[in-house]
Amino acid sequence: MNKHVGSGRSLRPGRKKSDKTPKGRQIDEGALAEVRALLGDQPRRRDLMIEFLHLIQDEYRCLSAAHITALAAEMKLAQAEVYEVASFYDHFDVVREGEAVPPPLTIRVCDSISCMMAGSNELIRNLEAGADPAEIRVLHAPCMGRCDTAPAARIGDREVDHADADKLLAMAPNGETDVLKPDYTGLDAYRAQGGYALTGRVRAGEVSADDLIQTLSDAGLRGLGGAGFPAGTKWKFVRSYAGPRLMTVNGDEGEPGTFKDRWYLERDPHRALEGAIIAAHAVEAERIYFYMRDEYPAVLEILRVEIAALESAGLIEDGFIELRRGAGAYICGEESAMIESIEGKRGLPRHRPPYIAEVGLFGQPTLNHNVETLWWIRDIVEKGPKWFANQGRDGHPGIRSWSVSGRVKNPGVKLAPAGVTVRELIDDHCGGMADGHTFKAYLPGGASGGILPASMDDIPLDFGGKLAEVDAFVGSHAVVVLSDRDSIRDAALNLLEFFSHESCGQCTPCRGGTEKMVQLLKSDGKIDENALRDLEAVMRDASICGLGQAAPNPVNHLLTYFRDDL
Amino acid sequence: MTDKIKFILDGKEVSASNGETIWDVAKREGNTLPHLCHVDKPGYRTDGNCRACVVEVEGERTLAASCIRKPTEGMKVKTGGERSEKARQMVFELLAADMPAKDDGPDNQSQFWEWAGRMGVTGSERLPSKFSDAHPGEHDVSNPAIAVNLDACIACGACVRACREVQVNDVIGMGGRGHYSAPVFDIHDPMGLSTCVTCGECVQACPTGALYEKSLMDTDGKKRVVQDFDRAVDSVCPFCGVGCQTTVYVKDDKIVQVDGREGPANENRLCVKGRFGFDYVHSPERLTKPLIRREDAPKEADIDLTGVDPMTVFREATWEEALEKAAGGLKTILDRDGSPAMAGFGSAKGSNEEAYLFQKLVRQGFGTNNVDHCTRLCHASSVAALLEGVGSGAVSAPFTDAMHADCVIVIGARPGQNHPVAATYFKQAAKRGTKLIIMDPRGQGLMRHADHALQFKPGTDVAMLNAIIHVIIEENLYDRQYVQANVSGFEALKEKVKDFSPEAMAEVCGIDADVLRDVARTYATSERSIIFWGMGVSQHTHGTDNARCLIAMSLITGQVGRQGTGLHPLRGQNNVQGASDAGLIPMFYPDYKPVGAEDIRSKYEDVWGRALDPQRGLTVVEIVDAIHEGTVKAMYVMGENPAMSDPDQLHARGALAKLDQLVVQDIFLTETAWHADVVLPASAHAEKLGTFTNTNRQVQVGRPAIPTPGEARQDWELIVEIANRLGLDWSYGGINEVYDEMASLMPSLGGITWSKLTGEESVTYPLNKETGLSEWVIFGEGFPTNDGKGKIVAADLLPPDEVPDDEFPMVLTTGRLLEHWHTGAMTRRSDVLDELEPEGIAAMNPHEIARQGFVAGQMISVATRRGTIEARLRADREVADGMVFVPFCFNEAPANRLTNPQLDPFGKIPEFKFCAARVGAADDRMEAAE
Repeated sequence: MNKHVGSGRSLRPGRKKSDKTPKGRQIDEGALAEVRALLGDQPRRRDLMIEFLHLIQDEYRCLSAAHITALAAEMKLAQAEVYEVASFYDHFDVVREGEAVPPPLTIRVCDSISCMMAGSNELIRNLEAGADPAEIRVLHAPCMGRCDTAPAARIGDREVDHADADKLLAMAPNGETDVLKPDYTGLDAYRAQGGYALTGRVRAGEVSADDLIQTLSDAGLRGLGGAGFPAGTKWKFVRSYAGPRLMTVNGDEGEPGTFKDRWYLERDPHRALEGAIIAAHAVEAERIYFYMRDEYPAVLEILRVEIAALESAGLIEDGFIELRRGAGAYICGEESAMIESIEGKRGLPRHRPPYIAEVGLFGQPTLNHNVETLWWIRDIVEKGPKWFANQGRDGHPGIRSWSVSGRVKNPGVKLAPAGVTVRELIDDHCGGMADGHTFKAYLPGGASGGILPASMDDIPLDFGGKLAEVDAFVGSHAVVVLSDRDSIRDAALNLLEFFSHESCGQCTPCRGGTEKMVQLLKSDGKIDENALRDLEAVMRDASICGLGQAAPNPVNHLLTYFRDDL
Repeated sequence: MTDKIKFILDGKEVSASNGETIWDVAKREGNTLPHLCHVDKPGYRTDGNCRACVVEVEGERTLAASCIRKPTEGMKVKTGGERSEKARQMVFELLAADMPAKDDGPDNQSQFWEWAGRMGVTGSERLPSKFSDAHPGEHDVSNPAIAVNLDACIACGACVRACREVQVNDVIGMGGRGHYSAPVFDIHDPMGLSTCVTCGECVQACPTGALYEKSLMDTDGKKRVVQDFDRAVDSVCPFCGVGCQTTVYVKDDKIVQVDGREGPANENRLCVKGRFGFDYVHSPERLTKPLIRREDAPKEADIDLTGVDPMTVFREATWEEALEKAAGGLKTILDRDGSPAMAGFGSAKGSNEEAYLFQKLVRQGFGTNNVDHCTRLCHASSVAALLEGVGSGAVSAPFTDAMHADCVIVIGARPGQNHPVAATYFKQAAKRGTKLIIMDPRGQGLMRHADHALQFKPGTDVAMLNAIIHVIIEENLYDRQYVQANVSGFEALKEKVKDFSPEAMAEVCGIDADVLRDVARTYATSERSIIFWGMGVSQHTHGTDNARCLIAMSLITGQVGRQGTGLHPLRGQNNVQGASDAGLIPMFYPDYKPVGAEDIRSKYEDVWGRALDPQRGLTVVEIVDAIHEGTVKAMYVMGENPAMSDPDQLHARGALAKLDQLVVQDIFLTETAWHADVVLPASAHAEKLGTFTNTNRQVQVGRPAIPTPGEARQDWELIVEIANRLGLDWSYGGINEVYDEMASLMPSLGGITWSKLTGEESVTYPLNKETGLSEWVIFGEGFPTNDGKGKIVAADLLPPDEVPDDEFPMVLTTGRLLEHWHTGAMTRRSDVLDELEPEGIAAMNPHEIARQGFVAGQMISVATRRGTIEARLRADREVADGMVFVPFCFNEAPANRLTNPQLDPFGKIPEFKFCAARVGAADDRMEAAE
């Protein structure tokens, strides 16, 4: 039997109407005009995406769906390509239709380990109780690099030491929310002290690239961002790959407990910039991308001013150093993730091989250095490699900038030899333990380097060596001292919560492992140690990058050395 | 590089070729390692993120993802062992911990559960899920075809690569960070409200069922309920000319799923029509019994059976009665009025064999060449120009050659909508650095990927293209040697385009002279440039001239005959190439042999045993006119819907109503069938065996997946029935015998036997006579013209036939939508496609809408000198100011009631792309239809 009912589908009852527009969100002409005005005549390059997102976020306090759509259209990208980047970084607030725009003022309170130990949770509670949520929002934030003045906070763009709620809430109505630049050595002062003379000699060919490499190698200068790779060797590698080559400066100092790079850049930024210019010259890099974390607004402002000053002074060509602003993602301290971020993408670490020395930024051979590594170059070349090497302990050449925080009397950046022990740092450099605290444990290398008991206070702190034998590392030389008043389980939980928050989410072991470790550490009653150990194994063995591989270190040490705290 | 790398895999020395990963080599060695994020299919970049495939590399601190790691000389790799096996197992446990239990999740047969099962992982007792009642995984069923269950998502990004790198639809992103990482649509929008085009590539790539076909799931879209299939049939897609290969899954004689297969034109990809538009075959509106028009049912031009019980017009009949009535009626008129009174429309949707039989019936049985099909309405002008210029109407290179080109021009085509899978190659090429140049008066998504997007004034193609040719010649960018050896007509062209400087043409076509110059230079100086075009070129009264310009561009630059170069009119229907090849056109026998050629005709007269008509037959629109003139009186229409597809619809429908005898053979009671005397229920694509030739000259095999419904019969059998009742003595044991006969008459199919076809699934013709290998690119050594040279015919500037004036101030242009196929006869009966585009629309620019005081979403009327329709107004930035776009697939708002039937003098194609119109609010009726 034929069952035709006529072929006019449109007359069926209850049919939906067709859409008023083509599929998906349409471009809002007003938003498009606003975005165009913000971008001005800047080239709509993909790698500038994060810079553009900052422009919008800074102006409108958020990234509305209309602005994201407009930016996508302007950059000839899809909405998803913009959104996935925006949603990766903490400092962007995506606001879709019908969602509330964040209040005018944001207070971020650091809740990483040193600040937690200094009472950041209570600070946050007090702020939340005292702030008008229509005017101020209070956010937890990861390490702000002010661990020696914990608890640290940031109100608007103003960084605040020894923060307390009353002080912060009083600052808001006074408009004390803009960037506060510390006094530092500007270009003229730096040049008056002989700065950039070496650059001139290098550029004139008086000091060759080979000389420089030899000098750095003799000095034993290693990458001080955490990996400790010999700087001279790195230059040699980069030079061995065909150009064009590029250089990046990793200013994404995010390892909890670390604040030395900020410390240097807030005092003597040109020493690092000169190091970068010399390094770029040595490897014939065509351009330097200086990636600076967005948690350091003062440093960003200093760099903006001083790079412009270098251009005005004719010391560099316009655009030779391109300052790139991070957006709140610890993982971008991982060099390949940083490179992805500079390219305007989510900060996902790349697989190795190939290493960035061969295939780096925009696919070109890339020299990447930490700020402090560059900071030493001028002094090493001017004063000679031995000057640097001889400041270290036997078998540990060189001097290091130790960020010491936690339960010591005088925390701060401490210049001390490579190979120093924690005991020496506490007693000889920090005036001993804080009053009423007994040394119990320490983090030799920030959140990633593990937690060692006070009984291991005689281990020489340096790359590899005895630290490695106990599954710990010195990393960025961030030493956090814990006392008898601190629970190591709480400390481990804090660190794992940090890693869980900061995991990029790319690989299963790190994404799932950090999150599950947090849940297991939080669970009441007896901890499932087997589960933790199995997670530790897969994270260590199968994570793509160092974050996931090192994230279980505190848990390993908790289970190994601090069984009383379980 | 061909150097092989030797390394040790599980103690055995193996070798890897350049580009092979450890995973690839292990698989080749018979050891397929677990994999989730790695989609082992062409076009998918390995990502190495899930870590399900980690292996031990001697001397390395950590394990390596074998799917992304390339071996190096001497490397020692261990795929087994406690360490890597433990790590892999933990990966699965970690992922399973966050998932619903196997049988509670969206796909209990997923790749994930298959591998988990092999490892003994069923979930995790000890690892808590990241989801909770307070924070459940997202469940999104807003898309009509796809359910999203993110509690099963493992954030492996296969869907992102599917959407962004394979299909390049750029809808899915990986949003968030850490364990909040999850796929998102646009700005984390519901899938059904996003820019998603529902191609389903993500579904095909997803290893867990987090993105899954609703057709296999419960009504909530949470669990798979269709657990097994009765059969899986390898076939080809019934819709466009791309020719995607498919696998059709059937349960209880119903198609429940269609997947892409690794065909040469699609490499597993499909679009929304091919993947989700299959259910039209199961429509309750299928014709299942023969129908005969009731004596008391009048025929009228404006008959509208929408919502009317067809039994008021037709009555059911037995096959015997219906066939006798059908053939008898045709024969009566043939005997009475002779062959000129007879005509037939075949279909480009049918198989090559059906096309062959149909034209044979008309020529041998009706004794006339009055046989045509909708190619006339698509690319007839392109074919006319190509035959004239290069001696062959087929494409010179496949569209996949875009991947080998340095410069790709797409003009007058919207492949993103109309050839979606071909468009994926263009977008991929652009992403890899190929210069993409799009020329179209309407904007389109593809322009986002383009180096140049030329939104020229409609109807000014010749001005724009001649200006480009002018630059190529003026700046000496043409290939002197190639022209000398292979081209005729260059001097005349040079003379002609002298007046067409870009500066002079900029005002005419609306494109800056600088842009025209840059496009000319890019096209001419690229190592390999290729041109694709569509109906924006062909459907004009100057369509042949448009195509001549494109041919001239390629000839003078030598951008033809090599891989990555050439001329490619994107053919519209799944078998428009094949139907034309098979002779379903009034001027040619199979293989474009002219009916007027004595030697050819006598050969066919020998084969078919009768005198054949030496005059070329009438084309589609000419037949309509001939009916009105009283010449043509009887027609046999198979699978064609001229009542919707022909221009000036009331005129066309008036012709159908005027016929003394109209036999319609179709699967639905189409608008054409409303006018029929006899309606023969026939076979859908999914019900028939046959070969289909795509736009790339690839002949492919369609196979029956399901039986015909009710008493419906195979089309080819019905043609044979009619033939024999007309007194022809036809006898075929099967479709393969039809193919054999057809191929024996077609040199182009030389060497391509039925068994070769069914064995290889796809064969590109022609085969090289010496090597027997397919020639994917033709014209490498001259052209199949009389002198072996490509012939340039210079084109003049002609305005469109009907330009806007005070009364009709706007330009109406027509075309298709992604979801609807041709006249909508099939796709509007597919639930998914119909839900996506449910009713007739007219699209205008938001500025124009505001200027005219309309509101998007309201009903408007669109009127031309030929008629008026009502449609819902859509605000679309892609439509230029002063224009209105109406798709021709909606019978309630039929664009072709409005279109101008004026023909291109060479291709006889009507000017669908341009006529004068006016718009008004729907309640404000116009008198234009008078």
